[in-house]
Amino acid sequence: MDKRLFINTKPGNTFLDKLTGKTKVRTFLILIFLLIATWDFRLILPLFFLGLFALLSLHPDPKKMWGVTIFIILMNLFNLLLLWLVSPDYGRNLCGESTVLFRLSEFYIVTAETLWYFLVRFTKFVATFLISMTFIQSITPSEMSAGLHSIKIPYKICTIVSIAFRYIPDITRDFNNIKISMQARGMELDPKKTKLGERLKQNVLILAPLVITSFDRVGNISNAMDLRGFGKKKDRTYYSEHEDTKGDKIMLPVYLAFLALFLVIVFMNIFHPSAYEVWCPWIG
Amino acid sequence: MAKKKKSVGQLLLGNWDTKTIVGVAIGAALFGVLMNYGGIRVFTNTSLSTAMIVPVIVGALFGPLPAALAAFFGNVIADLIGGWGFWFDWSVGNGLAAFFVGLLPLYGAYITDGVFKTKHIAYYAICVVVGQLFSFGVVTPFLTYLWYSSDLTITFSQAWAASAANIAVQLVVGIPLLFVLANRYKRGTNLTKE
Repeated sequence: MDKRLFINTKPGNTFLDKLTGKTKVRTFLILIFLLIATWDFRLILPLFFLGLFALLSLHPDPKKMWGVTIFIILMNLFNLLLLWLVSPDYGRNLCGESTVLFRLSEFYIVTAETLWYFLVRFTKFVATFLISMTFIQSITPSEMSAGLHSIKIPYKICTIVSIAFRYIPDITRDFNNIKISMQARGMELDPKKTKLGERLKQNVLILAPLVITSFDRVGNISNAMDLRGFGKKKDRTYYSEHEDTKGDKIMLPVYLAFLALFLVIVFMNIFHPSAYEVWCPWIG
Repeated sequence: MAKKKKSVGQLLLGNWDTKTIVGVAIGAALFGVLMNYGGIRVFTNTSLSTAMIVPVIVGALFGPLPAALAAFFGNVIADLIGGWGFWFDWSVGNGLAAFFVGLLPLYGAYITDGVFKTKHIAYYAICVVVGQLFSFGVVTPFLTYLWYSSDLTITFSQAWAASAANIAVQLVVGIPLLFVLANRYKRGTNLTKE
C-alpha cells in the first residue's frame, strides 16, 4: 500500500471517529473555508494547534505520517523561496510597510514584513494540511457521502464523491502494479536518466492499461448498483449514518460558532475591508 | 443505427443514469491518482500531467458536464489526498476546461457510435485551446484574486505554464486516444448491426 494513502473503510474508535458523517463533513468544510478566508495569524495559530491536536487524537501511524509531513513542509518552503525570488518585497503589498532587515543586492532584500507573511502563509498551509489529514483518516467513503447529503447536496453527486474516494486506493494500487511490471520489462522510469519526451511516452504506456482496467469497472459497479435499486427514488437515506452521539451534540455548537466566525470574516472583508490583507503585529 | 437526435441541452448535460455516475466517479478517482503520481514536473506546482487525459475519455464517453464534474471532483480529491491545501480556483478551472474538452458530441464526434473523423480534430483542437486559455488564463486568476487574494503574478505564470502543458498533453495524447476509442466502439456497432 502506498505511504501517502490513509483511506479507511471502517471507522475507528476514537472520539472523532465516532462522530456522524454529518458532523465530520460540516466541521471540516467550515474549518477549510475559514482557513481560506482568513489571513489573521491570531486565528490561524489556534486553528493550527486545533488541527495538530485533532490529528494526534486519532493516534495515526507515526511512520506513515512523517513522510507526508516532511514532503508538505519542504514543498511549502520551496514555494516560499520561489515567491521570494520573484518578488522579495512581497510583504509591502500585504502589510503596507517594508522594514529592511538586510540586503543581498539591489533587488534581493529581506524585509520583516515578507518574513512575517511567509510565517503566516506557512502556518496556514500546514494547518490546512493537518485538518485535511484528520478528515481523511477519520472518515469512511459512505460517511462522506452521508455528510455531504446532510448539507442538501443531491445524492447522486454525493455518490460520485464517495465512489471516487472509495476507488482511489484501488486505482493507486493498479497504477503501482502496472509501473512495477513495466519496470520489470526493462522500462527506465528514473527521472534523471530519461528525457522529457521519453518520459511522457512512458507515462502514456502506463496510462493505457490503467485507463482500461479502471473503466472496465464501471460496468460491474453500475450493474451492481442498478440491481440494488440505485436511482429509483428522488431521495435516499444512509446506512452508515447513525443517530447523534454525545460527541455530535458537543460538536454542534462548536462548528456553528466557527460558521458564525467565517460569516463575520467574509462580511468584514466585503463591507469593511482593511487597507492591508495580512495583520501584522508591529503595524497593527 | 438510427438514433433519435438529442437537443443541445441534453447533449450538454449528458444522460444521468447509474453508468454515468459511476463513470464520473471512476474518472474523478483516476484524475486524483494521476494528479498525484502521473505527472512530470515542468514548473512549480505545474506538471505535464497525464491526468488531463481523463476529461477527454469521460467527455468522449459521457459528455461535457460529466467531464467537468469528473475533473472538478478529481482535483478536489487530489488536493485532499495530496495534502497541499485546497485550491478551489484551480479545481473550478480544471472543471471548466474539461467542459470544453467534453464538447465532442456537440460538433458531431459521437465517439460511442464510432464517429471521429479528420475534420473533428480541428474542432477538438480549437475547443481544447480555447477552453484552457479561458479557464486558466481568465477564470482561475480571477477566482484566485477573489478567494485567495494573493500571488497573482505567480498564479498568472503558473496558469500559462499549466495551460501550455495541458494543451500539449490533450493534443499529443488526446487525439490518438480519441481515434482508438472511436475505433473500439465502431467494431461494436458493426457487430450489433449484423
